[in-house]
Amino acid sequence: MAEYIKLIDVTKCTGCRGCQVACKQWNSLPAVDTMFTGSLQNPKDLNYNTWCLIRFDEVEKDGKLNWLMRHDACMHCETPACAKACPSPGALTKNENGSVVHNPAYCIGCRSCIVACPFDIPRNDKALEKMAKCSLCHDRIDDGKKPACVTACPTGCLTFGTKEEMLKAAEKRAEKVKGVIYPANPHYETHVMYILPGTVGVEDFSHMNPHPKMPATLYWWKNLFKPFTLIGIAGVAGAAFLHYIIKGPHRVHEKKEGGE
Amino acid sequence: MTNHWNDIQHADAILIMGSNPAENHPISFKWVNEARTKRGAKLIVVDPRFTRSAATADIYARLRPGTDIAFLGAVINYAIEKNRIHEEYVKNYTDAAYIVNPAFQGATDLDGLFSGLTGAKYDKATWAYEMDENGIPKQDLTLQDPLCVYQLLKKHYSRYTIKKVSDITGCDAADLEAVCETYTATCKPELSGTIMYAMGTTQHTYGSQNVRAFAVLQLLLGNIGNAGGGINALRGESNVQGSTDHGALFHILTGYLKYPKANQPTLAVYNEQNTPKNKDPKSLNWWGNTPKYMASLMKAWWRDADLETAYSYLPKIDDGKNYSYLPIYSAMANGEIKGMFVWGMNPAVGAPSSKMIRKAIAQLDWMVCVDLWETETSAFWQKEAGVNPADIKTEVFLLPAASSMEKEGSISNSGRWCQWRYKAIDPVGHAEDDLWIINQIVNRTKALYAKEGGAFPDPIANLTWNYGKVGLDGKIHPPSPREVAKEINGYFIAEKEIEDKAKGEIKKFKPGDIVPSFAMLQDDGSTVCGCWVYAGSIDDKGENKMMKRDPADPTGLGMFPNWSWSWPVNRRIVYNRASVNVEGKPFSKEKPVLWWSPLKKAWLGDIPDGNGDPDAILPFIMVPHGRGMLFAAGMSDGPFPEHYEPLESVVKNTLSNSQVSPVITRWDEKAKEETCNPILAAGCIAALYGSEEAKEFPTICSTYRVSEHWQTGQMTRWIPWLNELVPNQFVEMSEEFAREHGITFGDKVKLTSARNVEGITAYAMITKRLKPFRIQGKDIHMVGITWHFGYKGLATGGNANDLTPFIGDPNTMIPEYKAFLVKVEKA
Amino acid sequence: MSAHGDMIKVTDGIERVVHWILAGSCLFCLITGIGFMYHSWSFIATFLGGPYAMKWMHIFSGLAFAASFVYSFFMWKKDCQFEPQDLQWVLKGGGYLWSVKDLPPVYKYNAGQKAFFWILVACAIVIIASGVVMLNPLYYPVVMARFAYMLHAGAVVLLGAFIVVHIYLGTAGNPGTVSAMLTGYVSRAWCETHCPRWLADRDSWKPGGEKDVA
Repeated sequence: MAEYIKLIDVTKCTGCRGCQVACKQWNSLPAVDTMFTGSLQNPKDLNYNTWCLIRFDEVEKDGKLNWLMRHDACMHCETPACAKACPSPGALTKNENGSVVHNPAYCIGCRSCIVACPFDIPRNDKALEKMAKCSLCHDRIDDGKKPACVTACPTGCLTFGTKEEMLKAAEKRAEKVKGVIYPANPHYETHVMYILPGTVGVEDFSHMNPHPKMPATLYWWKNLFKPFTLIGIAGVAGAAFLHYIIKGPHRVHEKKEGGE
Repeated sequence: MTNHWNDIQHADAILIMGSNPAENHPISFKWVNEARTKRGAKLIVVDPRFTRSAATADIYARLRPGTDIAFLGAVINYAIEKNRIHEEYVKNYTDAAYIVNPAFQGATDLDGLFSGLTGAKYDKATWAYEMDENGIPKQDLTLQDPLCVYQLLKKHYSRYTIKKVSDITGCDAADLEAVCETYTATCKPELSGTIMYAMGTTQHTYGSQNVRAFAVLQLLLGNIGNAGGGINALRGESNVQGSTDHGALFHILTGYLKYPKANQPTLAVYNEQNTPKNKDPKSLNWWGNTPKYMASLMKAWWRDADLETAYSYLPKIDDGKNYSYLPIYSAMANGEIKGMFVWGMNPAVGAPSSKMIRKAIAQLDWMVCVDLWETETSAFWQKEAGVNPADIKTEVFLLPAASSMEKEGSISNSGRWCQWRYKAIDPVGHAEDDLWIINQIVNRTKALYAKEGGAFPDPIANLTWNYGKVGLDGKIHPPSPREVAKEINGYFIAEKEIEDKAKGEIKKFKPGDIVPSFAMLQDDGSTVCGCWVYAGSIDDKGENKMMKRDPADPTGLGMFPNWSWSWPVNRRIVYNRASVNVEGKPFSKEKPVLWWSPLKKAWLGDIPDGNGDPDAILPFIMVPHGRGMLFAAGMSDGPFPEHYEPLESVVKNTLSNSQVSPVITRWDEKAKEETCNPILAAGCIAALYGSEEAKEFPTICSTYRVSEHWQTGQMTRWIPWLNELVPNQFVEMSEEFAREHGITFGDKVKLTSARNVEGITAYAMITKRLKPFRIQGKDIHMVGITWHFGYKGLATGGNANDLTPFIGDPNTMIPEYKAFLVKVEKA
Repeated sequence: MSAHGDMIKVTDGIERVVHWILAGSCLFCLITGIGFMYHSWSFIATFLGGPYAMKWMHIFSGLAFAASFVYSFFMWKKDCQFEPQDLQWVLKGGGYLWSVKDLPPVYKYNAGQKAFFWILVACAIVIIASGVVMLNPLYYPVVMARFAYMLHAGAVVLLGAFIVVHIYLGTAGNPGTVSAMLTGYVSRAWCETHCPRWLADRDSWKPGGEKDVA
């Protein structure tokens, strides 16, 4: 089964929001009540019913105005922090094709995934006690199609293909436009990648993590404390058993009746 | 477009000016990206605002709204000064060498005006070429004669220096120079530059001259007729090209035939006055075929009448009048119009000074709206429109219409590609497609005339209506768009033998035979043709070429000759004979549109624009003398574009002392007359330079669109997913302007204009993408607002056109929507 | 002679009730927590009606733990204050690891028990505070919320180990102890071994005093 990558070439994005609407249409997500936010960005943030969002930033750098438009959605990490944090089996599954997919049937609404995500992507509905996020249209991928957002994108900003194809294409394009590939952390691979223009930095894009990685606290929790809990309990129980059979219980010497 | 969408990928430089394709043509914008990715094309965006298109540009230059002619003047002057012209092209294919009447005087001599001004009109007698004894314009191929077009052009544009234009437009001199340098580099024969424009160019007091300036520039650079070149209008509706092709404009019949005037009482007079004459054997002068096209059209509409009788059935335009938007609503306000059909249109929101328009509509006895939704126009009498329904006497009918997926027919895109579309699903409820509706109207009207008679029933009673007839059962049968397409293409109704000179053979036609191309149309009434430019869209087997979907691309230039059908005669790039030299060799080896094969003795590549050996004919076949016009005597306000200030302006014209063009229709002056209807008086006030109104409304305002909504919002503000993206009306303003007015994020502002002091309110969008213009030492501010909002829909908001002025371009009457004055205050 | 023979009452009713609420809720939280922590142990959720139900049970059990802990803290903190001789007791392994003759006499609770109390206090504060954050994690800065999850787990490691020790030493490891928390009574001999100074104090009460038992 092939591994896929969704590549987002920010240098080609015109912020048309075709991806936002296509995502809603494919996933039958309702429109959210919105108000003017100060820019064209709407809704203001991802939410339970908005799984991808174009974020707008106006940045003046080196005397030039940059109007940055970025498609923000789940990064489909190779080692997803959300699935790692999730307490309910089946609620978040990492698939072979690279997608990290949520299943509302198993979600208990604890929001650990939202806290854990290095990109602050999953969103919840308080009343329904469920979370939701981009699923990389895994149902479409399984059927040989591309994600809805990629299919809708009119400029070729969003492309989709096998990991090898996309990594090659990303390198080529980044070189051509003198841009950078994101994320650049070899220890934290994702199945969604960006080509960012070289004229601005990652820090100029709102809601973009300049240092994407697995949160250290999550690592400590799941890779250390978790195994040690059972080791600790079992170990101590074993030690107690050993004490009982070796040293033996601390008996109290009762006085015989008649004394006192 | 002279070219087409796919062709944009071949440009070496792309000038996006007066348009915002990344915003409004997002899918087709990919061709701009292709040009940049594949051939490193430079993208130049010239716009008052830093738009979505500007965000991706290599060069962005700002200009004050309404100063396009000045801006382009600088580029033209730069090209002439630095000899950045395609000399061979200019000498052979343009009128640069033609000598002009020595009595002609231009703006340089007459302080912004041209010779022949009488009152509010130009007598164009001096705007003429000097003819030789054969009736062909005299030429100076050295281009040195001070009376030749080139020298007159040079003199005219010598005033448009970088410094002067920078001061007029507020564009930084360095940016202006960068645009000039980059774009004029396409003058090299093997390079091409394309201009993509839309309403930002045309919807101005001088919109036509804006486009004319593009033409002058492209002709000098040799950018018309080649791949990656052209003057490319980005049409704003999917089939507006089709609608203008089929005559849905006030001044034309189908195929851009001129509309008959009252002083042309017979077809003979009409033909005489409208058929341009030409003595140059090298000029095909294609409009010389007017009598053929007119005759075929008359026969299409009144088959059984003779040509003169048929012509007499056509209503004529009264002398000195035109029935464009502005005069129609003016007449309506005066109660001169009884009823109106509003077919897929929303003037209550889209018309200039729309508050006045709604008052004018209220004077009608009846109005029929045909639309998918209950639009602001069909609901103009409701409370949401801000009126008391009891005060409105108009009887309003709303006929539900089918959407584009629910009917069959053709759509002609910006590139003239006519594509057949099929019906996917049935319309909902009682909605019907337009053809069905009009078929009902025609048949019922015929029946009523037959029953009751009338003042002059003949035009309708005798109207040939071969589709959707009344059956034996008395019921009106649904019409077939395919039958209509056949009639539009045309067919013979008499036996005819026609010589095909190119092939040297005689073609025989009998009644019912399809007309294979407009070259076969006759002026004797033996052919029927509903629209001559579409002749050839049906092949001789009766198959509709618009239905073709063959992805083969033999030239590799993305022309796809068998994918849909383009007019004329499936030519993809018009004037393509200008892409080769006089020997028939393409100027560009890399992307040749056309080339002459001496072996085959034929043109290969695209369909040639005019058959005949190389150098046998001139490439610009639609103008009488066959050469591209730098000197356009047909324009009503000057043969060369001249910068004037928009009618509403706070800036004095520093190019000349002519503040505005003297030939624009001054509705604002009519409004001041005592006899003027109060509705018009209020709605036509203009904030002229130096007036009290200009002091009160000192901020420039421009209207425009966003990707997420469409036109007046009637197709989009009923859709929750789109309303989610842009839920409210908003006004864009610079950070400097906001600070000056104490406006911060979250504030609402009120916009008022000379025509609407109640104004509209909207959220303030404070952005870095707008900046003040430094003009004559002062900061001039602009704000921008979308025209997508009205009072009907799931999302509603302030109607921008309640503020716009009632001013029309002197050539086309297109309204000024892009440079007018408002007052902005915190709400 | 009382109904309990010559058994000594070492805990009153409230102590026992609070202890069992504390212990019971703690164990229940531990079990359900393990059901969340280890996906292979998620079958625990099946017994309890599904992971969603288990979430709310864990939360309510946690609230019970928090409430009973607060009471326990104030209830037992006085008797768990350390004194110098506690060090001696520790150095001698409390007599549990090897035979020891002269263990310093314990008042009510030995050093081990005191240590357990304070570790419980520390862990409980961390677990409860982090638990509160985990109830509505999005109300807090994300770094704080991430630490909450980690510290919750970390404190459980520590507390879990000590609870095993506490259970062992409260049952098999020290026969005769568990009745202290069930009936409230233990034998005099037990008291002489485990809380001699407290016993002496109790014996020196004059009749009619509060601590007199029947």
